[in-house]
Amino acid sequence: MKILGKVSVVALGILVSSGPLRADDQSEREARWKDIETSLFGARVVQNGDGVIALDAPVRADDASLVPMGITLSAKQPVKSLYLVIDDNPAPVAAHYTFGPAADPREIKMRVRVNTYTNVHVVAELADGTLLETEKFVKASGGCSAPMGMSDEEAMKGMGEMRVKFAGDATPSKPVDATLMVRHPNFNGMQMNQLTRMYTPARYIQTIAVSDGPQKVFDLETGISLASNPVINFAFVPTGKGQLKVDVTDSENSHWEKTVPVPTLSN
Amino acid sequence: MIRIAPFLAVLFLMSAGVARADSPGHVPEPAGLWQGALHGYTPNTVAGAVVVDTAALEKLVADKKPVLIDVASADKKPENMPATALWFPNHRSVPGAVWMPGAGSGTSDKTFATAFERRIADLTGGDKTKAIVAFCHPECWGSWNAAKRLAGLGYTAVYWYPEGMERWQAAHETAVVKADSEWTASMSGGGER
Repeated sequence: MKILGKVSVVALGILVSSGPLRADDQSEREARWKDIETSLFGARVVQNGDGVIALDAPVRADDASLVPMGITLSAKQPVKSLYLVIDDNPAPVAAHYTFGPAADPREIKMRVRVNTYTNVHVVAELADGTLLETEKFVKASGGCSAPMGMSDEEAMKGMGEMRVKFAGDATPSKPVDATLMVRHPNFNGMQMNQLTRMYTPARYIQTIAVSDGPQKVFDLETGISLASNPVINFAFVPTGKGQLKVDVTDSENSHWEKTVPVPTLSN
Repeated sequence: MIRIAPFLAVLFLMSAGVARADSPGHVPEPAGLWQGALHGYTPNTVAGAVVVDTAALEKLVADKKPVLIDVASADKKPENMPATALWFPNHRSVPGAVWMPGAGSGTSDKTFATAFERRIADLTGGDKTKAIVAFCHPECWGSWNAAKRLAGLGYTAVYWYPEGMERWQAAHETAVVKADSEWTASMSGGGER
Protein backbone atom coordinates (compact mmCIF):
# COMPACT_ATOMS: atom_id res chain seq x y z
CA MET A 1 0.00 0.00 0.00
CA LYS A 2 2.72 2.36 1.06
CA ILE A 3 4.73 1.73 -2.11
CA LEU A 4 1.75 2.08 -4.40
CA GLY A 5 0.92 5.39 -2.79
CA LYS A 6 4.42 6.66 -3.39
CA VAL A 7 4.47 5.70 -7.04
CA SER A 8 1.22 7.48 -7.77
CA VAL A 9 2.49 10.62 -6.05
CA VAL A 10 5.53 10.55 -8.32
CA ALA A 11 3.37 10.04 -11.40
CA LEU A 12 1.14 12.95 -10.41
CA GLY A 13 4.22 15.07 -9.81
CA ILE A 14 5.47 14.51 -13.34
CA LEU A 15 2.16 15.71 -14.75
CA VAL A 16 2.22 18.83 -12.61
CA SER A 17 5.82 19.70 -13.36
CA SER A 18 5.30 19.66 -17.10
CA GLY A 19 4.05 23.25 -16.86
CA PRO A 20 6.46 25.82 -18.28
CA LEU A 21 7.58 27.66 -15.16
CA ARG A 22 6.04 25.92 -12.15
CA ALA A 23 8.48 23.15 -11.53
CA ASP A 24 7.21 20.83 -8.87
CA ASP A 25 10.03 20.80 -6.39
CA GLN A 26 8.63 17.88 -4.41
CA SER A 27 8.17 15.53 -7.35
CA GLU A 28 11.62 16.36 -8.69
CA ARG A 29 13.12 15.51 -5.34
CA GLU A 30 11.27 12.20 -5.31
CA ALA A 31 12.36 11.47 -8.86
CA ARG A 32 15.95 12.20 -7.89
CA TRP A 33 15.76 9.75 -5.01
CA LYS A 34 14.21 7.12 -7.30
CA ASP A 35 17.18 7.51 -9.65
CA ILE A 36 19.68 7.15 -6.83
CA GLU A 37 17.77 4.22 -5.38
CA THR A 38 17.84 2.45 -8.73
CA SER A 39 21.58 3.02 -9.14
CA LEU A 40 22.25 1.62 -5.69
CA PHE A 41 19.69 -1.15 -5.36
CA GLY A 42 18.48 -1.90 -8.86
CA ALA A 43 14.98 -3.30 -8.86
CA ARG A 44 14.99 -4.18 -5.16
CA VAL A 45 12.18 -2.63 -3.18
CA VAL A 46 13.09 -0.18 -0.45
CA GLN A 47 10.45 -0.06 2.25
CA ASN A 48 9.56 2.69 4.65
CA GLY A 49 11.74 2.20 7.69
CA ASP A 50 10.19 4.76 10.01
CA GLY A 51 10.10 3.26 13.47
CA VAL A 52 13.18 1.15 12.77
CA ILE A 53 15.58 3.78 11.47
CA ALA A 54 15.71 7.31 12.82
CA LEU A 55 17.76 10.08 11.28
CA ASP A 56 18.61 13.01 13.48
CA ALA A 57 19.68 15.89 11.23
CA PRO A 58 19.27 19.64 11.66
CA VAL A 59 16.37 21.23 9.75
CA ARG A 60 18.67 24.15 9.04
CA ALA A 61 22.44 23.86 9.37
CA ASP A 62 24.53 26.95 10.06
CA ASP A 63 27.73 25.36 8.84
CA ALA A 64 27.03 23.39 5.68
CA SER A 65 30.52 21.90 5.69
CA LEU A 66 29.95 20.30 9.07
CA VAL A 67 26.40 19.01 9.26
CA PRO A 68 25.89 16.47 12.04
CA MET A 69 24.00 13.30 11.14
CA GLY A 70 22.84 10.88 13.82
CA ILE A 71 21.45 7.51 12.79
CA THR A 72 19.75 5.17 15.22
CA LEU A 73 18.64 1.67 14.33
CA SER A 74 16.35 -0.61 16.24
CA ALA A 75 15.97 -3.55 13.87
CA LYS A 76 15.01 -6.92 15.35
CA GLN A 77 17.40 -8.74 13.03
CA PRO A 78 21.07 -7.90 12.39
CA VAL A 79 21.86 -4.98 10.10
CA LYS A 80 24.16 -5.91 7.24
CA SER A 81 24.87 -2.47 5.86
CA LEU A 82 23.87 1.15 6.03
CA TYR A 83 23.82 3.96 3.47
CA LEU A 84 23.79 7.69 4.21
CA VAL A 85 22.77 9.54 1.06
CA ILE A 86 22.77 13.33 0.56
CA ASP A 87 20.47 13.34 -2.47
CA ASP A 88 21.57 16.59 -4.08
CA ASN A 89 25.28 16.31 -3.46
CA PRO A 90 27.18 15.52 -6.66
CA ALA A 91 28.52 12.34 -5.03
CA PRO A 92 25.36 11.49 -3.08
CA VAL A 93 26.57 8.47 -1.10
CA ALA A 94 28.28 10.07 1.89
CA ALA A 95 28.74 6.78 3.67
CA HIS A 96 28.23 3.09 3.09
CA TYR A 97 28.90 0.99 6.16
CA THR A 98 29.19 -2.78 5.96
CA PHE A 99 28.97 -4.20 9.45
CA GLY A 100 30.94 -7.14 10.75
CA PRO A 101 30.32 -9.53 13.66
CA ALA A 102 31.78 -7.12 16.24
CA ALA A 103 29.48 -4.27 15.21
CA ASP A 104 26.69 -2.87 17.27
CA PRO A 105 24.93 -0.65 14.76
CA ARG A 106 22.42 0.90 17.13
CA GLU A 107 23.81 4.37 16.71
CA ILE A 108 26.20 6.02 14.27
CA LYS A 109 27.07 9.68 14.19
CA MET A 110 29.14 11.55 11.66
CA ARG A 111 29.48 14.96 10.04
CA VAL A 112 28.96 15.63 6.36
CA ARG A 113 29.00 18.39 3.75
CA VAL A 114 25.73 19.53 2.25
CA ASN A 115 25.86 21.36 -1.08
CA THR A 116 22.31 22.63 -1.40
CA TYR A 117 18.89 22.23 0.24
CA THR A 118 18.36 18.53 -0.04
CA ASN A 119 16.68 15.39 1.16
CA VAL A 120 18.94 13.11 3.16
CA HIS A 121 18.18 9.39 3.09
CA VAL A 122 19.31 6.55 5.27
CA VAL A 123 18.87 3.01 3.99
CA ALA A 124 19.53 0.00 6.18
CA GLU A 125 19.98 -3.45 4.69
CA LEU A 126 18.98 -6.19 7.09
CA ALA A 127 20.43 -9.70 7.26
CA ASP A 128 17.59 -11.15 5.18
CA GLY A 129 18.10 -8.52 2.45
CA THR A 130 15.21 -6.28 3.47
CA LEU A 131 15.91 -2.63 2.65
CA LEU A 132 14.45 0.05 4.91
CA GLU A 133 14.66 3.79 4.41
CA THR A 134 13.97 7.04 6.16
CA GLU A 135 14.38 10.65 5.01
CA LYS A 136 14.83 14.22 6.26
CA PHE A 137 14.96 17.54 4.44
CA VAL A 138 18.00 19.61 5.37
CA LYS A 139 18.40 23.30 4.63
CA ALA A 140 22.09 23.98 4.23
CA SER A 141 24.11 25.13 1.27
CA GLY A 142 27.61 25.72 0.08
CA GLY A 143 29.18 22.96 2.15
CA CYS A 144 31.02 21.52 -0.80
CA SER A 145 32.79 24.76 -1.70
CA ALA A 146 33.39 26.04 1.83
CA PRO A 147 37.09 26.72 2.24
CA MET A 148 38.85 25.53 5.37
CA GLY A 149 40.13 29.02 6.18
CA MET A 150 43.79 28.07 6.32
CA SER A 151 46.57 27.16 3.92
CA ASP A 152 46.49 23.74 2.32
CA GLU A 153 49.73 22.84 4.06
CA GLU A 154 48.24 23.75 7.39
CA ALA A 155 45.08 21.77 6.61
CA MET A 156 47.15 18.73 5.73
CA LYS A 157 49.35 18.89 8.81
CA GLY A 158 49.26 15.63 10.71
CA MET A 159 47.16 14.00 8.00
CA GLY A 160 46.24 10.47 8.98
CA GLU A 161 46.65 10.99 12.71
CA MET A 162 43.90 9.24 14.62
CA ARG A 163 42.42 9.13 18.06
CA VAL A 164 39.95 6.69 19.48
CA LYS A 165 37.99 7.42 22.63
CA PHE A 166 35.92 4.91 24.52
CA ALA A 167 32.98 5.71 26.72
CA GLY A 168 34.06 3.88 29.85
CA ASP A 169 35.60 0.44 30.21
CA ALA A 170 34.62 -2.53 28.12
CA THR A 171 33.10 -5.75 29.31
CA PRO A 172 33.33 -8.65 26.84
CA SER A 173 30.11 -9.13 24.86
CA LYS A 174 28.64 -5.85 26.15
CA PRO A 175 28.50 -2.96 23.63
CA VAL A 176 30.91 -0.06 24.05
CA ASP A 177 30.53 3.40 22.54
CA ALA A 178 33.57 4.67 20.71
CA THR A 179 34.57 7.87 18.93
CA LEU A 180 37.02 7.80 16.07
CA MET A 181 38.73 11.04 15.06
CA VAL A 182 40.83 11.18 11.91
CA ARG A 183 42.89 14.18 10.91
CA HIS A 184 42.39 14.68 7.17
CA PRO A 185 41.30 17.76 5.21
CA ASN A 186 39.15 15.63 2.90
CA PHE A 187 39.60 18.15 0.07
CA ASN A 188 36.83 17.68 -2.46
CA GLY A 189 38.33 19.67 -5.33
CA MET A 190 35.61 22.34 -5.11
CA GLN A 191 37.17 24.43 -2.38
CA MET A 192 39.10 27.54 -3.29
CA ASN A 193 42.21 28.35 -1.33
CA GLN A 194 41.59 31.85 -0.01
CA LEU A 195 45.26 32.80 -0.31
CA THR A 196 46.19 31.48 -3.74
CA ARG A 197 42.67 31.74 -5.20
CA MET A 198 43.24 28.36 -6.81
CA TYR A 199 41.12 25.27 -6.32
CA THR A 200 42.73 22.88 -3.90
CA PRO A 201 43.13 19.50 -5.64
CA ALA A 202 40.79 16.80 -4.40
CA ARG A 203 42.22 14.49 -1.78
CA TYR A 204 39.72 12.60 0.28
CA ILE A 205 39.22 9.55 2.45
CA GLN A 206 37.83 6.57 0.59
CA THR A 207 37.72 3.79 3.16
CA ILE A 208 37.82 3.41 6.92
CA ALA A 209 37.95 -0.12 8.33
CA VAL A 210 37.59 -0.86 12.03
CA SER A 211 38.23 -4.28 13.60
CA ASP A 212 38.27 -5.59 17.12
CA GLY A 213 41.00 -8.18 17.09
CA PRO A 214 40.13 -10.62 14.29
CA GLN A 215 36.49 -9.46 14.21
CA LYS A 216 35.33 -6.76 11.83
CA VAL A 217 33.37 -3.85 13.31
CA PHE A 218 32.70 -2.10 10.01
CA ASP A 219 34.06 -1.23 6.59
CA LEU A 220 33.13 2.29 5.58
CA GLU A 221 33.20 3.48 1.99
CA THR A 222 33.04 7.25 1.87
CA GLY A 223 34.18 10.18 -0.22
CA ILE A 224 33.94 13.91 -0.75
CA SER A 225 30.70 14.37 1.21
CA LEU A 226 32.49 13.48 4.42
CA ALA A 227 33.44 16.57 6.46
CA SER A 228 37.09 17.43 6.92
CA ASN A 229 38.72 15.98 10.04
CA PRO A 230 35.98 13.37 10.32
CA VAL A 231 34.61 12.29 13.67
CA ILE A 232 32.62 9.05 13.74
CA ASN A 233 30.72 7.77 16.73
CA PHE A 234 29.90 4.09 16.70
CA ALA A 235 29.51 1.14 19.03
CA PHE A 236 31.00 -2.34 19.00
CA VAL A 237 30.93 -5.49 21.05
CA PRO A 238 34.43 -6.22 22.31
CA THR A 239 35.70 -9.76 22.00
CA GLY A 240 37.88 -9.40 25.06
CA LYS A 241 41.12 -9.45 23.05
CA GLY A 242 41.37 -5.75 23.72
CA GLN A 243 42.78 -4.37 20.44
CA LEU A 244 40.83 -2.04 18.18
CA LYS A 245 42.44 -1.49 14.79
CA VAL A 246 41.59 1.31 12.38
CA ASP A 247 42.71 1.42 8.72
CA VAL A 248 42.21 4.54 6.61
CA THR A 249 42.93 4.98 2.90
CA ASP A 250 42.54 8.10 0.80
CA SER A 251 42.24 8.97 -2.89
CA GLU A 252 46.02 9.34 -3.23
CA ASN A 253 46.38 5.77 -2.01
CA SER A 254 47.84 6.83 1.29
CA HIS A 255 47.19 4.36 4.06
CA TRP A 256 47.23 4.93 7.78
CA GLU A 257 46.52 2.52 10.57
CA LYS A 258 46.30 2.65 14.29
CA THR A 259 45.80 0.00 16.92
CA VAL A 260 44.58 1.02 20.33
CA PRO A 261 44.00 -1.03 23.45
CA VAL A 262 40.38 -1.30 24.46
CA PRO A 263 40.23 -0.45 28.16
CA THR A 264 38.72 -3.49 29.85
CA LEU A 265 37.29 -3.89 33.29
CA SER A 266 39.71 -5.84 35.43
CA ASN A 267 38.09 -8.89 37.01
CA MET B 1 58.85 64.11 13.61
CA ILE B 2 57.44 66.56 11.16
CA ARG B 3 58.55 64.39 8.25
CA ILE B 4 57.46 61.09 9.75
CA ALA B 5 53.89 62.02 10.62
CA PRO B 6 52.65 62.58 7.05
CA PHE B 7 54.39 59.38 5.97
CA LEU B 8 52.56 57.44 8.67
CA ALA B 9 49.31 59.08 7.68
CA VAL B 10 49.80 58.01 4.06
CA LEU B 11 50.66 54.49 5.17
CA PHE B 12 47.55 54.40 7.32
CA LEU B 13 45.35 55.63 4.48
CA MET B 14 46.85 53.09 2.11
CA SER B 15 46.32 50.17 4.41
CA ALA B 16 42.80 51.34 5.19
CA GLY B 17 42.16 51.67 1.47
CA VAL B 18 43.37 48.14 0.75
CA ALA B 19 41.26 46.67 3.51
CA ARG B 20 38.17 48.49 2.29
CA ALA B 21 38.57 47.50 -1.34
CA ASP B 22 38.66 43.83 -0.49
CA SER B 23 35.86 43.76 2.04
CA PRO B 24 32.19 43.11 1.33
CA GLY B 25 30.40 46.22 0.12
CA HIS B 26 33.59 48.06 -0.78
CA VAL B 27 34.71 46.42 -3.98
CA PRO B 28 35.15 48.90 -6.84
CA GLU B 29 33.76 48.04 -10.27
CA PRO B 30 36.51 47.06 -12.67
CA ALA B 31 36.42 48.96 -15.98
CA GLY B 32 36.01 45.80 -18.01
CA LEU B 33 35.24 42.15 -17.36
CA TRP B 34 36.71 40.64 -14.21
CA GLN B 35 39.41 38.20 -15.18
CA GLY B 36 40.54 37.19 -11.70
CA ALA B 37 39.22 34.33 -9.61
CA LEU B 38 35.44 34.06 -9.97
CA HIS B 39 34.90 33.35 -6.29
CA GLY B 40 35.23 36.47 -4.15
CA TYR B 41 33.58 39.66 -2.96
CA THR B 42 31.89 41.55 -5.76
CA PRO B 43 30.97 45.21 -6.32
CA ASN B 44 27.56 46.48 -5.25
CA THR B 45 26.74 47.54 -8.79
CA VAL B 46 27.41 46.75 -12.41
CA ALA B 47 27.29 49.58 -14.93
CA GLY B 48 24.47 49.15 -17.43
CA ALA B 49 22.49 46.73 -15.26
CA VAL B 50 20.01 46.99 -12.41
CA VAL B 51 20.81 45.06 -9.24
CA VAL B 52 17.84 43.05 -7.92
CA ASP B 53 17.34 41.32 -4.59
CA THR B 54 15.13 38.29 -4.11
CA ALA B 55 11.91 40.27 -3.66
CA ALA B 56 12.64 42.36 -6.77
CA LEU B 57 13.46 39.24 -8.79
CA GLU B 58 10.22 37.63 -7.70
CA LYS B 59 8.30 40.66 -8.97
CA LEU B 60 10.35 40.81 -12.15
CA VAL B 61 9.66 37.15 -12.91
CA ALA B 62 5.93 37.71 -12.39
CA ASP B 63 5.72 40.97 -14.36
CA LYS B 64 8.21 40.72 -17.19
CA LYS B 65 8.92 37.02 -17.71
CA PRO B 66 12.62 37.72 -18.10
CA VAL B 67 15.19 35.40 -19.59
CA LEU B 68 16.99 33.93 -16.56
CA ILE B 69 20.63 33.08 -17.14
CA ASP B 70 22.35 30.91 -14.54
CA VAL B 71 26.12 30.98 -15.12
CA ALA B 72 27.15 28.74 -12.20
CA SER B 73 29.98 26.33 -12.97
CA ALA B 74 29.27 22.64 -13.29
CA ASP B 75 30.45 20.39 -10.44
CA LYS B 76 33.88 19.05 -11.17
CA LYS B 77 34.31 15.32 -10.66
CA PRO B 78 37.15 14.77 -8.19
CA GLU B 79 40.08 12.68 -9.38
CA ASN B 80 40.47 9.04 -8.40
CA MET B 81 36.84 8.35 -7.57
CA PRO B 82 36.37 4.56 -7.47
CA ALA B 83 34.44 3.26 -10.46
CA THR B 84 31.79 1.91 -8.12
CA ALA B 85 31.19 5.27 -6.40
CA LEU B 86 28.16 7.21 -7.55
CA TRP B 87 28.95 10.51 -9.36
CA PHE B 88 25.58 12.06 -10.04
CA PRO B 89 25.66 15.88 -10.13
CA ASN B 90 22.34 17.65 -9.98
CA HIS B 91 22.03 21.34 -10.72
CA ARG B 92 19.24 23.25 -9.01
CA SER B 93 18.28 26.69 -10.19
CA VAL B 94 15.50 29.26 -10.32
CA PRO B 95 12.63 27.55 -12.15
CA GLY B 96 12.70 28.44 -15.84
CA ALA B 97 16.36 29.43 -15.86
CA VAL B 98 18.72 28.58 -18.70
CA TRP B 99 21.89 27.13 -17.23
CA MET B 100 24.98 28.17 -19.16
CA PRO B 101 27.85 26.73 -17.13
CA GLY B 102 31.00 28.79 -17.45
CA ALA B 103 29.23 31.71 -19.17
CA GLY B 104 30.43 34.02 -16.41
CA SER B 105 34.03 33.80 -17.55
CA GLY B 106 35.80 37.13 -17.97
CA THR B 107 37.83 35.80 -20.88
CA SER B 108 38.54 38.08 -23.83
CA ASP B 109 38.45 35.04 -26.13
CA LYS B 110 36.57 35.90 -29.37
CA THR B 111 35.01 32.44 -29.81
CA PHE B 112 33.58 32.64 -26.30
CA ALA B 113 32.24 36.16 -26.87
CA THR B 114 30.60 35.14 -30.14
CA ALA B 115 29.05 32.00 -28.64
CA PHE B 116 27.68 34.04 -25.73
CA GLU B 117 26.28 36.72 -28.01
CA ARG B 118 24.59 34.18 -30.31
CA ARG B 119 23.01 32.15 -27.55
CA ILE B 120 21.64 35.25 -25.83
CA ALA B 121 20.30 36.54 -29.16
CA ASP B 122 18.46 33.21 -29.58
CA LEU B 123 17.06 33.30 -26.07
CA THR B 124 15.81 36.86 -26.35
CA GLY B 125 14.54 36.40 -29.91
CA GLY B 126 16.88 39.21 -30.92
CA ASP B 127 14.95 41.69 -28.77
CA LYS B 128 17.50 43.96 -27.11
CA THR B 129 14.84 45.38 -24.80
CA LYS B 130 13.92 41.94 -23.42
CA ALA B 131 14.45 41.71 -19.65
CA ILE B 132 17.35 39.41 -18.84
CA VAL B 133 18.71 38.37 -15.45
CA ALA B 134 22.20 37.03 -14.72
CA PHE B 135 22.90 35.06 -11.53
CA CYS B 136 24.94 32.26 -10.03
CA HIS B 137 26.01 32.08 -6.37
CA PRO B 138 26.64 34.76 -3.76
CA GLU B 139 30.13 36.25 -3.94
CA CYS B 140 30.61 35.08 -7.49
CA TRP B 141 31.98 37.28 -10.23
CA GLY B 142 30.50 35.03 -12.90
CA SER B 143 27.09 36.64 -12.87
CA TRP B 144 28.67 40.10 -12.58
CA ASN B 145 30.65 39.38 -15.74
CA ALA B 146 27.59 38.03 -17.53
CA ALA B 147 25.59 41.16 -16.68
CA LYS B 148 28.52 43.30 -17.81
CA ARG B 149 28.72 41.42 -21.12
CA LEU B 150 24.98 41.74 -21.68
CA ALA B 151 25.09 45.50 -21.11
CA GLY B 152 28.07 45.68 -23.47
CA LEU B 153 26.08 43.86 -26.14
CA GLY B 154 23.47 46.60 -26.01
CA TYR B 155 20.76 44.87 -23.98
CA THR B 156 18.83 47.61 -22.23
CA ALA B 157 16.97 45.68 -19.52
CA VAL B 158 19.79 43.77 -17.84
CA TYR B 159 19.40 42.70 -14.23
CA TRP B 160 22.02 41.27 -11.90
CA TYR B 161 20.87 39.03 -9.04
CA PRO B 162 23.97 38.71 -6.84
CA GLU B 163 22.22 36.77 -4.06
CA GLY B 164 22.03 33.81 -6.42
CA MET B 165 20.55 30.37 -6.00
CA GLU B 166 21.42 30.13 -2.30
CA ARG B 167 19.18 33.05 -1.40
CA TRP B 168 16.48 32.12 -3.87
CA GLN B 169 16.07 28.64 -2.40
CA ALA B 170 15.65 30.06 1.10
CA ALA B 171 12.22 31.32 0.10
CA HIS B 172 11.28 29.53 -3.12
CA GLU B 173 11.11 26.22 -4.84
CA THR B 174 13.97 25.35 -7.12
CA ALA B 175 14.09 23.27 -10.27
CA VAL B 176 16.61 20.76 -11.52
CA VAL B 177 18.01 22.07 -14.80
CA LYS B 178 20.27 20.47 -17.34
CA ALA B 179 23.09 22.49 -18.85
CA ASP B 180 21.86 24.34 -21.92
CA SER B 181 22.81 21.97 -24.75
CA GLU B 182 23.33 24.65 -27.39
CA TRP B 183 25.64 26.55 -25.06
CA THR B 184 27.67 23.51 -24.07
CA ALA B 185 27.91 22.43 -27.73
CA SER B 186 29.29 25.84 -28.69
CA MET B 187 31.72 25.68 -25.75
CA SER B 188 32.92 22.14 -26.37
CA GLY B 189 36.17 23.51 -27.75
CA GLY B 190 37.25 24.07 -24.17
CA GLY B 191 35.87 27.53 -23.41
CA GLU B 192 34.44 26.53 -20.07
CA ARG B 193 36.28 27.68 -16.98
